Amino acid sequence: MTTQEVSLPPMGINWIGLGTMIRREVSRIMRVPIQAFVAPWISALLFIFIFGFVLGGRIKEIGGHRYLEFVLPGILMMNIINAAFLQSTAQIYFQRFMRYIEETLVAPLSYVEMIVGMLFCTILRSVMTAIGILVIAACFGVHSLGNIGEFLFWVVAVSLIFGMLGLIIGLWAQNFEQLNSLNVFFIVPLSMVGGVFSTINMLPPYLRFLAYANPFFYWINGLRHAMIGFHEGPTGVGYALTLGLIVGLSLWLWRLFATGYGLRE
Amino acid sequence: MPAALSISHLRKVYRRGTVAVDDLSMTIEEGDFFGFLGPNGAGKSTTIHCVTGIATVTSGTIEIFGIDAVKNYREARRLVGLSPQEFNVDQFATPRQIIDWMGGYFGMHAADRKRRSDMLIEQFDLTEHANKPFRELSGGLKRRVILCRALIHDPKLLILDEPTAGVDVELRRELWRYLQEINRAGKTILLTSHYLEEIERLCRTIAVVAKGNIVRNAPKAEFMAGGGLEQAYLTATGAEPDHIAGAAA
Repeated sequence: MTTQEVSLPPMGINWIGLGTMIRREVSRIMRVPIQAFVAPWISALLFIFIFGFVLGGRIKEIGGHRYLEFVLPGILMMNIINAAFLQSTAQIYFQRFMRYIEETLVAPLSYVEMIVGMLFCTILRSVMTAIGILVIAACFGVHSLGNIGEFLFWVVAVSLIFGMLGLIIGLWAQNFEQLNSLNVFFIVPLSMVGGVFSTINMLPPYLRFLAYANPFFYWINGLRHAMIGFHEGPTGVGYALTLGLIVGLSLWLWRLFATGYGLRE
Repeated sequence: MPAALSISHLRKVYRRGTVAVDDLSMTIEEGDFFGFLGPNGAGKSTTIHCVTGIATVTSGTIEIFGIDAVKNYREARRLVGLSPQEFNVDQFATPRQIIDWMGGYFGMHAADRKRRSDMLIEQFDLTEHANKPFRELSGGLKRRVILCRALIHDPKLLILDEPTAGVDVELRRELWRYLQEINRAGKTILLTSHYLEEIERLCRTIAVVAKGNIVRNAPKAEFMAGGGLEQAYLTATGAEPDHIAGAAA
């Protein structure tokens, strides 16, 4: 055994460390491609086929759009939310559970670099999920992607929100039961009633306030506007809510990392 | 010249109120081979975790080559390599990936990582196991991977928390030779072990920790005077009172 010197570059932003975090997480995702990508694609395929194609053929146009075009943004948003949340919870919880989070804790990585690295992977998985669903939709003859800039805004912004929520839950959870609690009691129910399959006008008037009080409605509505130009309710509320949540969750997450909550002993 | 590691009045209280380290102070000079002894639960690993950032510090200061390990944690961590007691790795990754990723976290360029990891894999006789999943390796091979990971960025201060636990005699002796060699080349080493023979053979300075505090810190020669290291250790930790130790001598 012999020794050999290495030289480390001066400390600024640790780009190589950040890149390594991403590279490593991508390699973990690629070990479970069925869970990460095939499952949401099959789920979306079934939704598109049954609700959009089979049942949708019997439903009249909504706002001048075929029913399949109308439900696609909602199906897409549900899967983006799910992908973002599952990616970030799995990423941080498994690192904590198997204790290899300690590899990043002992390294010269700042809290911000750690958070950015994790969220980048979340967005990557969400975007890959979205691309797959768009390809499936194209197979059913739906090619509506009206405003790409607005579309990307909603995909990235909502991925960020649920990526950060997932990281917070992943830091808090002490077991797999807790890890799934937000998804079961909050994300799935609210996304299903957030206007995926119907417009607000289809609801009885006395229940419409529930739709406006549901944040998922604004995200589905925003993505629908980006894709087919159809929207209900004030779009400004959706933007304000989204940006406010991103700022609030960023500060909360940074604070948790800085104090070592769930990370350090 | 600043000390390699300077700990002053370190206190660590866990969230549930357990005091693991209480007013611990010690200094390790650059180039030293420092033995850190103590019974299970004495606070050795907690101290190491505070130094390396795995645990938060309740109070006190830690300086690594003069750099505050809490305020300037990124700069300080670049200088430290840790081989922990437990296998805290992605069990599905291969040794080559584990070592390479660690180099990446420390900001090493791809070419440097490749050169250095190739060298370590060869030195630690891991070549034929380098691309197998970590979970399929034997205990001794896993320990070698952890050591390679700690050494990938060539740290100035190497912290080894029970590095030879579960390792066969051949590897233990090979590792001892390697550690002596890199120490002679200037690397500062902090070693914890329950094998007193190991500490006696390798270390120049020894500290004994009990109930979260240093109860004795002296050059090895002082420990060896009298009844030897084992006797001095038992006396220091209170496992064997002075008068019994004296009678035995």
